[in-house]
Amino acid sequence: MSERAPKPIPVVHDGNRPFWDGARAHRLVVQQCSACGHLRYPIAAVCPQCLSDATEWTALSGCGTVFARAVYHRAFGANPVADVPYVLAIVQLEEGPRMISDIVDAGPEDVDVGTPVEVVFDLVSDDITVPRFCVREDQR
Amino acid sequence: MTPSAAIAGVGVTDQGKLPGRTNLSLAVEAFKRAVEDAGLRKEDIDGLLTEPGTTEFGWALDYLRLGEALGINPSFTGTMMQGGATAINLVQMAALAVDAGMATYVACVFGDAPRTGQAQRSSDQAHGVGEDNWEVWGANGAIAWSALSASRHMALYGTTPEQLGAVAVAARAHASRNPAAIMREPITLEDHQASRWIVEPLRLLDCCLISDGGACVIVTTEERARALRRPPVRIAGMGQAHTAQKLEHPDWWYGPHQRLAVSRAYESAGITSDDVQVAQLYDNFTISVVLWAEHCGFCAVGEGGAFVADGRIGPGGALPVNTHGGHLSAAHPEGWLTLIEGVVQVRGDGGDRQVPGAEVCLVTGRGMLLNCAGALVLTPS
Repeated sequence: MSERAPKPIPVVHDGNRPFWDGARAHRLVVQQCSACGHLRYPIAAVCPQCLSDATEWTALSGCGTVFARAVYHRAFGANPVADVPYVLAIVQLEEGPRMISDIVDAGPEDVDVGTPVEVVFDLVSDDITVPRFCVREDQR
Repeated sequence: MTPSAAIAGVGVTDQGKLPGRTNLSLAVEAFKRAVEDAGLRKEDIDGLLTEPGTTEFGWALDYLRLGEALGINPSFTGTMMQGGATAINLVQMAALAVDAGMATYVACVFGDAPRTGQAQRSSDQAHGVGEDNWEVWGANGAIAWSALSASRHMALYGTTPEQLGAVAVAARAHASRNPAAIMREPITLEDHQASRWIVEPLRLLDCCLISDGGACVIVTTEERARALRRPPVRIAGMGQAHTAQKLEHPDWWYGPHQRLAVSRAYESAGITSDDVQVAQLYDNFTISVVLWAEHCGFCAVGEGGAFVADGRIGPGGALPVNTHGGHLSAAHPEGWLTLIEGVVQVRGDGGDRQVPGAEVCLVTGRGMLLNCAGALVLTPS
């Protein structure tokens, strides 16, 4: 493997642990409010719609489309997530929430606003698997 | 409806690469210059509102540090961090304070040394991305959000790289008439297109400068301002709005709060977009000006690209924008020069870059992760 610095790992705590546990099991999970049913992301202690703290974690399909996309030609910070150039996207998941993610195994020419994507799971360390997205091949 | 308030003094330090300067020392110097500009004494200042330097976001106690350094024990004080919207929104708070009689002369102060200063943390670290862990996916730097936003605007509305370039060219053209601007050498669209990619679709010449510097604005009532040294600049209208929800709000990327802030400022001033003669629009990236043109009602949604092209916003254009050269070419004290340039134009102090007869100036700011927005309408008193 190359000498590149390790990829950044998240700060895991009780509030977000189920997300990272789900990712390690190759499931993309987000919080669903038990009171009003709202699916929320980013991870939050209370529902931003109704403020209830009653929540369940639910698995999503992992399918979505690129809502916006940027291409990094410079790595900022000590731990770049990938070699440049890499694609960063806002992904619109089909169930409603949006996520921020790099798009793996894809060059800038492969990814545009509207490109269908799906989740993949990146084993970053023994403890951390990060859900990322790749171009979905079966679209027509 | 709008509080009676005016800007009575402004102070700006050198801007650029200032080794050895600290956030505090720049704030102190800017304060002293503003007090002198207003013809006041330090002892007259009983309100102190501050924005901490960009490398000290968490410094909620910045007002205490500055108060102690200045020997001021204020009647009204606080510290706010709203990125590029802070300057304007602190002035709004100052206007409310003086109108309510809680303070008589409020100094709004900023000092930042991100380029060469003795920062405890980098600006990126200070941004506090740790909460959402977004660096895990490589969403680093303030540029991420403007680049993502630009990509969607280009995909939805056909905004072109050349239109972004037109903003850069116009800013540099204005800066070439501003002796205090850092970058003054005129550039062409070809120069813009040839500059290297930073984060697509933004190139080097789409990005603001990084500079050290300080700034201060003194706010008081119109009546008091008229008795002072400089022509008072009336805060004729003010508005602000914010989109705190980045991913949950469907339109966060486009900046709906920016439109709200401006329309509230227009409404409180009793004007429309047609009345704006010169505009200082927060420009940390070229795309920002394209979006502002739409939010300010200068053109329809999706037509900001066409609006900024063909010299319309440059010197002598139909609506000059960022007449000092903006963050793209003049300097980048987080929206403070955007605000102060508005004051300069309304005072008639613009020299070679004065927009003739400019009496209605719109000033805007936007900050954090495209979250905060503020707008002021400035006129002669």
